[in-house]
Amino acid sequence: MPFADSPQREYAAATEWAAGRALDALTGAEGAALPAADVPEPQALLAADRVLGPDVFAPALLTGRPTPPEVAARAAEAFVLFPADWSGVHAWRDRATAELLARAGHPVAAESPPLPPDPGEHGWQRWSVLMAQLCCLALPTLDSPVHQRAREHPLALARGATRAMLRRDHRTATRLVRWLAWLQSVGTPLALELRPLLRQLALTGDGTARTALDLAVAERLAAA
Amino acid sequence: MNQTLLSNAHQLATRSLAWLYATHDQGHGVLPPEDSNVDLDLSNPDNAYKPIGECALAGSLVLRESVAGPTDRERARALLDFGWQQLRQGDLLYERQFRHILISDPLEMYGHFHRSGYRHAALEDLLHSLDGLRSTHAVEAMANRQLAVVNARSVVGLESKPDWDALAATTWLGARPEPWAIDWITGYNVTHTVFHMTDWGAVPDRLPVPLQEYLAEWLPVWVDIWQETGQWDLMGELLIVDACLPESVCDPDSLAQLVAVQHPDGLLPRDLDPIDEDPGKAFKENEHTAVVGVLAGTLTLARTLR
Repeated sequence: MPFADSPQREYAAATEWAAGRALDALTGAEGAALPAADVPEPQALLAADRVLGPDVFAPALLTGRPTPPEVAARAAEAFVLFPADWSGVHAWRDRATAELLARAGHPVAAESPPLPPDPGEHGWQRWSVLMAQLCCLALPTLDSPVHQRAREHPLALARGATRAMLRRDHRTATRLVRWLAWLQSVGTPLALELRPLLRQLALTGDGTARTALDLAVAERLAAA
Repeated sequence: MNQTLLSNAHQLATRSLAWLYATHDQGHGVLPPEDSNVDLDLSNPDNAYKPIGECALAGSLVLRESVAGPTDRERARALLDFGWQQLRQGDLLYERQFRHILISDPLEMYGHFHRSGYRHAALEDLLHSLDGLRSTHAVEAMANRQLAVVNARSVVGLESKPDWDALAATTWLGARPEPWAIDWITGYNVTHTVFHMTDWGAVPDRLPVPLQEYLAEWLPVWVDIWQETGQWDLMGELLIVDACLPESVCDPDSLAQLVAVQHPDGLLPRDLDPIDEDPGKAFKENEHTAVVGVLAGTLTLARTLR
């Protein structure tokens, strides 16, 4: 990959590339010929899959089209190459990835992360930021104690999204709107109207493929 | 009962009032000499007319709520007496209203004094007469300004009976809009809608229930935002809104934050800008926030103890 001068930059660029491919698969824009030079190196691509986690399977879960076998196999390889740390709350992303890999025929070892926090302990501000970091769990068919927390606290998520909008933190806002869209898709009443928020975020996104992917997932969930 | 909240509310109100009292005692907040033109230039930020009304409001609510100690009540009365004297016992208000029958500031100003027992018979006659005109009720203004006028008429005891719900529906808050689309000046529009709809917390249920519910959801977010940006004046006004609701919806730590930024002499900074070393400028720039401090503390205490 010609554009990276450090592993961190290379992995970040690869994550953007992989998010862009997931976005293409989700929106039906896939199939365009990609210059070979733009494709990340294999190791960076594995790291990117690890960062995307459950979102590798987002197109399949939202469109019903199966995940290409080579994509699922690569995600399984990434999971083994970069082992999970099961001690933190963020390991719920890995827990979800492991579940989706198992469904795709690639069982991997997984443990139970600590129980997710409650806004009552941390305040809705800090809790909503944490939930934003776990927004890749907001996908159809996934369920966990994190999802249960989301179902229990729709107002805290809506407040977090509102706060992020007012702070011009459109990445966090998009991630929380993704949770709100997921809540709506499972029948939880919302304190915020989704459509105007989605329209505004489409105009004010942060220009990254990852945020565009979060927004596209949210739009799909909202339309479900 | 949250004793820390009560202590913070008391400290905020008492110290803000002490600063207002001391700065007036030092000669700030005085109108131009009596022989100057009665047509005050209200667009002039150096004019003391508006601050006189704001201090009178603070004093009138300290006396109305009966949660302040004797010293604070004396200071509140002293601020009202000072303002009434500056307004020549209401003559200035009368002359201004007589010359300009469609303006509302004499009525609104008089309302603060009327609440505390000050009376000007000729002005009241004039106000009752003007209240009977279609013209005065048809003056075009922003919705929350209309509410200010309507509430002042109510405080003074004029005959007209407004449709509060219909008026509330014409405000930004009344639309229950997207809470993420608020901005700084609209924040002030929201606070004033609630102030006048509830007559500064005296009639919280005059605010329609859907708007109470809307504020219960989003007021904590707005307080958080303007607390983070150090906009103490607007944040304080939002905490007054909280005190005007039937029950508090905000984190008590926000009031503690206002107490934390208050200076030892009671000055409550309006924002994060440095305080001007010139006492006159410091008074003009922070007088409104001191009034906000008095009201936030007093109304929080009153609602908590009710």
